[in-house]
Amino acid sequence: MEVRIDGLRFLRRGDCVLDVPKLVFASGRTTALVGPNGAGKSTLLRLIVALERLDAGTIRIGGEQVRPDRRTRGHVAFAFQRAVFVGGSVWHNLDLALRLRGVPGDERRKRAAGAAAACGVDHLLDRPAHQLSGGEAQRVNLARALSLRAPVTLLDEPLSGLDAPARRQLLHDLPGILRAFATTTIIVTHDRDEALRLAGDLVVLIGGRVHAAGARADVFGNPPDAECAAFLGYTLIPDGGGVLAVAPRALRIGPGEVTFNLTVEELLDFGMRREVWGRIAGVPATVSLPMGENDNAGRLTVSAPERAVRRYCG
Amino acid sequence: MDALWEGFQEAVRLIVRGDAGLREVAWRTIVVSGSATLLAMAAGVPTGYGLARGRFPGRTLVLSAVNTGMGMPPVVVGLIVWLFLVRSGPLGDLELIYTKRAMVVAQFLIAVPLVIGFTAAAVQALPAELPDLLAALGAGRLRTLWLLAREAQLGILAAVMAGFGGVISEVGASMTVGGNIQGDTRVLTTAIVTETSRGENANAMALGIVLLVMAFAVNLLLTAVQQRRRR
Repeated sequence: MEVRIDGLRFLRRGDCVLDVPKLVFASGRTTALVGPNGAGKSTLLRLIVALERLDAGTIRIGGEQVRPDRRTRGHVAFAFQRAVFVGGSVWHNLDLALRLRGVPGDERRKRAAGAAAACGVDHLLDRPAHQLSGGEAQRVNLARALSLRAPVTLLDEPLSGLDAPARRQLLHDLPGILRAFATTTIIVTHDRDEALRLAGDLVVLIGGRVHAAGARADVFGNPPDAECAAFLGYTLIPDGGGVLAVAPRALRIGPGEVTFNLTVEELLDFGMRREVWGRIAGVPATVSLPMGENDNAGRLTVSAPERAVRRYCG
Repeated sequence: MDALWEGFQEAVRLIVRGDAGLREVAWRTIVVSGSATLLAMAAGVPTGYGLARGRFPGRTLVLSAVNTGMGMPPVVVGLIVWLFLVRSGPLGDLELIYTKRAMVVAQFLIAVPLVIGFTAAAVQALPAELPDLLAALGAGRLRTLWLLAREAQLGILAAVMAGFGGVISEVGASMTVGGNIQGDTRVLTTAIVTETSRGENANAMALGIVLLVMAFAVNLLLTAVQQRRRR
């Protein structure tokens, strides 16, 4: 089901925290809703499931206006950022979610088992939910949402609070899990790499306003403004009256199509590779330094290919 | 120590003999304190829930008042109720003074802040996202309330135990508004005071032991329910 937003405004204590004139989450696609902390991402998810009341505009799911009732909520599965559970086993929690959706007994067992297996938590079904580790809890949280088989699935920071190995594993598994359930999925994250890994479409939300929306390659490859580019990890370098935005990991040592001078501040040695941390025109920048290259220079010439550099007027 | 031992023996004798006077006072104690606790639960659990979940002007003030009420001396509560219910008082026409109903009112006022305070703390300890999660899953308002109460049941049962413990053991309010009338408003605590003032220490001790056993039995039952549900 498509999620369509028109003329949305949401105020908090009189301040407009979300202003979205038009936005569509395409049916069957996975969209990453990205933006810095406080951009309004989680609020937008809460509005889609009618946990907050709009001040203006409409949200439609499959053409039906969102309302705080069972019908709207029946269309949406929501995995909250913090995995919270009621007392009892993992099985009880999955079963309760399905019972609240009015799913009959046999079907509940089938769906809970299927979602648990898909999310790799089928061995935890008898475990008390409150005793799960962070990674296990996030997977059960995901399984609970996916077991509902709602046409729209909302995942709020599904990888938050995980240690690095658990995060890497879930980041690897999640696209496959989402493909298997094939719903319209909106994933909120403030992590650019997570967004690029998990979603085919990107929406960049900054200060409650949509700065960019579209296919991942289009948005990431061609951010419409400097603020959006900065959030996507571009290095913004002052250039006359405007700025040059250099794509993440595009800088290389040595001259090239677009050349800069890097003032070296620190060399980090990771054993297999090294990184130079420094500044270009006063702006922090990082560039990989091949092993064996001269690392004593106070200044380095670095460059990026033309296609990795965007120009924005001041 | 003699009084303690004699009291224990007397308590056993009274209980084994099925002493009618003891049965009557014990039963009255259960009825009065039980009624007050049930009423305090009925009013206190929803109020505590509302205070924990609601956001309204003056909430902190109300919570502070409740917390103060949790430590209110029963004799002061009894005095205030007495001032209202005494024949010349604003509610004197109700003719409740020196009746069991007046004792229930006073004990209700002692128990209700305890039930509200403990319930509010139990509900506030739940994850803040839980009500939204249940709503997003499609639970209606009543179902959400029920499920949250189940989640907070350890604390809510503790609230009930605190309320019951507070009223079954108090003497000041019962004495002030009940008058300790034999055969009518005398309960275990006021009977203990009477027996002690008469120098009947063994009898007083026996009544004290019966009171302790009763309080223990009720709390054992509630604790068993609480811990069974925890598993």
